[in-house]
Amino acid sequence: MYYRLPKIEYFRPKTLEEAVGLLEKVEGSKVIAGGTDILVDAKTSRVRVKALVDIGSIAELRGIEDLGGAIRIGAATKLQELLESSAVSENLPLLRAAVESMASWQIRNMATVGGNLCNASPAADTAPPLLAYDAELVVVGPGGSRTVPITKFFTGYRATALGRAEILKEIIVRKAEWTGWNYIKLGRRDGFTLSIVAVAVLARVRNGTVEDVRIALNSVAPTPVRAYGAEEMLRGREVSRGALERAAREVMDEVSPIDDVRSTAWFRREMSYRLTLDALTKALGAE
Amino acid sequence: MEAARLGISKLGGADTLCRGSDPVAARHFKVSSITFRGAVTAEDPRSVLRRWLEAETLLVVGRSIERADSLEKALGRARFVEDFLEEGYLVARLALARTPHARLKAVKCSPALRVSGVLRVLTHRDIPGENQVGYAIPDQPLLAEGKVRYYGEPVAVVVGRDPDAVNEAVDLIELEAEPLPTLLDPLEAMERRDVLVHDALDSNIAFRTRVRKGDVEEGFGKADVVVENTYRTHHQEHVYLEPEAALAIPDLENRITVLATIQYPHLGQKIVSRVLGLPASYVKVVAPYIGGGFGGKDDEGPLVAARAALAAYHLRRPVFLYYTREDSIQVHPKREAAVIRYKSGASRDGRLTAIEVTIVHDTGAYANRGPFILWRATMHSSGPYYVPNAKVDGYCVYTNKVPQGSFRGFGNPPVHFAVESQMDQLAEKLGMDPVEFRLINLLRPGNETLTGQVLESSVGIHEALRRLAASSGWRAKRQEYGQLRAGRFRRGIGVAVAWHGNSTSRGVPDWSNAYIHVARDGSVSVYTGIVEMGQGSPSSSHRQLVAEILGCPIDKIRIVFGTTDAPDSGATHASRGTSVGAIGIVVAAGRIRSRLESFLSEYYGVERDRVEMSRGQVFVDGEVRMSWEELVALAYSKGVDLSATGYFFLPKGTFNEEVGQGFAYPAFSFIAVVVEIEVDTCTGRVRVLEVHPALAIGKVVNPEAVKTQVEGAVLQGIGYALMERLVFSADGKIVNDNLTDYVIPTFHEVPAIRDAIFVEDLWEFGPFGAKGVGEMALIPMPAAIANAMSHALGARILELPATLERVYSIARQTCGG
Ligand SMILES: Cc1cc2nc3c(=O)[nH]c(=O)nc-3n(C[C@H](O)[C@H](O)[C@H](O)COP(=O)(O)OP(=O)(O)OC[C@H]3O[C@@H](n4cnc5c(N)ncnc54)[C@H](O)[C@@H]3O)c2cc1C
Repeated sequence: MYYRLPKIEYFRPKTLEEAVGLLEKVEGSKVIAGGTDILVDAKTSRVRVKALVDIGSIAELRGIEDLGGAIRIGAATKLQELLESSAVSENLPLLRAAVESMASWQIRNMATVGGNLCNASPAADTAPPLLAYDAELVVVGPGGSRTVPITKFFTGYRATALGRAEILKEIIVRKAEWTGWNYIKLGRRDGFTLSIVAVAVLARVRNGTVEDVRIALNSVAPTPVRAYGAEEMLRGREVSRGALERAAREVMDEVSPIDDVRSTAWFRREMSYRLTLDALTKALGAE
Repeated sequence: MEAARLGISKLGGADTLCRGSDPVAARHFKVSSITFRGAVTAEDPRSVLRRWLEAETLLVVGRSIERADSLEKALGRARFVEDFLEEGYLVARLALARTPHARLKAVKCSPALRVSGVLRVLTHRDIPGENQVGYAIPDQPLLAEGKVRYYGEPVAVVVGRDPDAVNEAVDLIELEAEPLPTLLDPLEAMERRDVLVHDALDSNIAFRTRVRKGDVEEGFGKADVVVENTYRTHHQEHVYLEPEAALAIPDLENRITVLATIQYPHLGQKIVSRVLGLPASYVKVVAPYIGGGFGGKDDEGPLVAARAALAAYHLRRPVFLYYTREDSIQVHPKREAAVIRYKSGASRDGRLTAIEVTIVHDTGAYANRGPFILWRATMHSSGPYYVPNAKVDGYCVYTNKVPQGSFRGFGNPPVHFAVESQMDQLAEKLGMDPVEFRLINLLRPGNETLTGQVLESSVGIHEALRRLAASSGWRAKRQEYGQLRAGRFRRGIGVAVAWHGNSTSRGVPDWSNAYIHVARDGSVSVYTGIVEMGQGSPSSSHRQLVAEILGCPIDKIRIVFGTTDAPDSGATHASRGTSVGAIGIVVAAGRIRSRLESFLSEYYGVERDRVEMSRGQVFVDGEVRMSWEELVALAYSKGVDLSATGYFFLPKGTFNEEVGQGFAYPAFSFIAVVVEIEVDTCTGRVRVLEVHPALAIGKVVNPEAVKTQVEGAVLQGIGYALMERLVFSADGKIVNDNLTDYVIPTFHEVPAIRDAIFVEDLWEFGPFGAKGVGEMALIPMPAAIANAMSHALGARILELPATLERVYSIARQTCGG
């Protein structure tokens, strides 16, 4: 009640068009979904907000759907809904594991997956799995709808490919056959905290050979990142301890961490190696 | 005798304290008929305390009764300061300095005053009384004056009609100030004289302590092994759920009532009256339920109260002053950051021969309670061991940082981290088991402490550690984990013991008091200044003491706590809520009991010891005669006074500061913990798996309440040891002033905490023999964890917190993953 939240104009449109219209028209307006990021930022003046457009009542932004060849997740879907969805646990276990590591039940009941991506924190936990899945993001704005691959979505520190008055509508993940996955998050405490480093790994191994592998990390660069170099080193290779270690070492070179209150850059780099190695070991069945 | 020389009273040796018979006491209580003289004797505080100390059967004390506040709190009905805010009250916030060190020329208020809804900006110029609130040394203004000494120092109180206006205005307060060089490192500050935090002094050393006992050189000469290290500990933030707040309400006669998040209402009254220039009788301070204190609200509470009162005084309307979480973290004093150089030696037979210790505390911009904290750390720096030769020097050093202050353990967690780390290393060098080595050196009744004080009784630590070693499976686990020192995940088991003096130190006066009044219907009101901040003394143990003594039903008892309308009972700090703080309750209740017994013996014409009052009934020769309610009604009609106070002034001894020898504390509480951990050598993650506590805290009034204190303190100790760390920027600003960036343990970190072993080493003046417990379990935790880590890794942490990164850097060479 007594926090420094400035006076904010508030809108709660029922349709996507209405929401886009408001964002276009109202100066200094921003989207609010669960508000678990933007209200904290408004309070500490990290983000200046004059007006908020609440997308929580827009039905088409909610829900999880199995489209047959892909899973569709509405941007305003709550994290807790993701955890409780069988479509997610059956098809996107890596995403589920990441969401499970996030915040608390209370926060997950407010926070949305779209908010986590659009907030574009380097520590966002849904980003590494969705990067690994090569998710597609459907964005709606004044100029209509377009699809952005998630690998092109994060453009810099807390910056995204969203243009003026654009809203993230949904996330599409194509189904693919993966034989292993793992999400490892290391924080200053065991739960309810942002990562020092987190690593997501997806893998398809056949007859001891890596057919495909995806490695993504957070908190090691201005944005969540894929470790393409390390992936390349493993693709087509036989699973061996040495190969995994070389790939994990490659990750250390690919990341560009900084010092902050959670960790030093040095430790983040060390942990990029360790967590990647651990996650690969598990996902590639090299134990 | 040594004790006599030091002026220590030797009332009650070890034997008489064990519920044995004491001829003197017996004479007082076996009075056959009631005489005026007899009544007076029976009402003498010491007699009352002794009678209940020696009581043979206890019906209520020693049991886990349900707290009076549980339901209210579960239902959200319990009211905290903010819940008393009414429509139309004014609100206020502090404007904080955004510079660490500067000569202050003026506070520019006009932009803030132009914000619509802002009514007043108060600075040091508006203080009608004294702008001086230092507790130990008069060095601290309520609102900055002349100088700013730390980033976050309060410079003004902004008062307005609503939070929006006030929030906007606080950011508009600017200082006209000339920046000064900044001192952040205490070791540097000690040496510098060209930059002074306090201009009136000739150095940055606020306070010194020393102990000179025996001959250290000779002591080290006799040592077969010597260990020397420098230990570093860090600031810890309290993170109480409820940030600071105060509501000040002026009344018709220019009196002011202040509701505040405060641990000592009477101290608040003193500070408010000093700042406003009013007699204390014009100030009433009340602490409603408090959302956690841990010492932080002992320091900041009176200041919040005074700042709110200042605003209400000027605006003549109720003012609600609140700190946001960020304000709270920036402003209020923290656990001391310490640098401790420790050298200790022992002979081959496992006896400590000498210690040489230097303690440097970073006290920040103001001394606050720093001198008391340093004093306590110094006089406990041997640990609870017999040490024949000691040289200890303490320095409390000013820097341009947030002040250090009271926090559960009050100087003892860092010093025990050092002592107990040393003990393990000495044991290792001697090839002895850490428990065996400790048992050889632990204090026993009749031993002399570091300050030369002879402890005749209430020293149960030896037994506590012996029993703990057995129940925790120490020997087997120590061997098993030690042999498994390979692979990525390592187990370790560590032990640490601690002591903590009860009451204020030396001859510093300490007393207890309470007022009890029995109404005609048999309901009992108990007035105490002790507050309820979650610890449970007013809501459980105080009711138990009164129910036991009066023999009335416990639900008849209402504790009116945390108010200056009660007699000054001292602060709710230093683990004293159920110990020193409750002595007054025992004395007052004991007086009423004794009057009722005299009356009953006269009424029934029987000897006094044939009358019994318990379970809400009166018995004569074991037969029920009347109910508590009937007794009270009868007593009223026959002229028995059923109201009493219970003032008790603690007897103390003398102390020689030159050599640090003499009477330090009236009693000591003791604890031993065994901690089991697992370390991931590849990430530095330390998991505390199991904690086994053993306490020697005198009478355990409420085992469940003690258990919750132990659990809370263990977890706070884990946070302090492993993750909590304030980070300062180059200009002394606390960077992580929020709960995203400052992390404390959550339920994920809660280890299995075994039921505590209790050694009831009764203290002659404690309520039924109770000593303090609230702080105890935190004190040895960092040391026990560090010792377990060293057992697991074969490498030692000398600096806290043992973050993943620090542990990883000592463990990675051996990372077996
Ligand atoms: C206590 C706590 C713990 C947390 N723990 C974690 C954690 O473990 N891991 C983690 O990654 N995060 C964590 N967070 C951060 C936060 O909860 C998540 O990032 C969450 O998913 C944000 O979603 P939201 O709906 O609340 O976003 P909001 O705060 O509503 O929005 C965030 C940003 O995204 C924009 N936005 C939201 N939705 C859209 C949309 N559909 N289209 C365009 N822009 C949009 C908003 O304008 C805003 O800029 C935590 C937060 C708190 C308070």
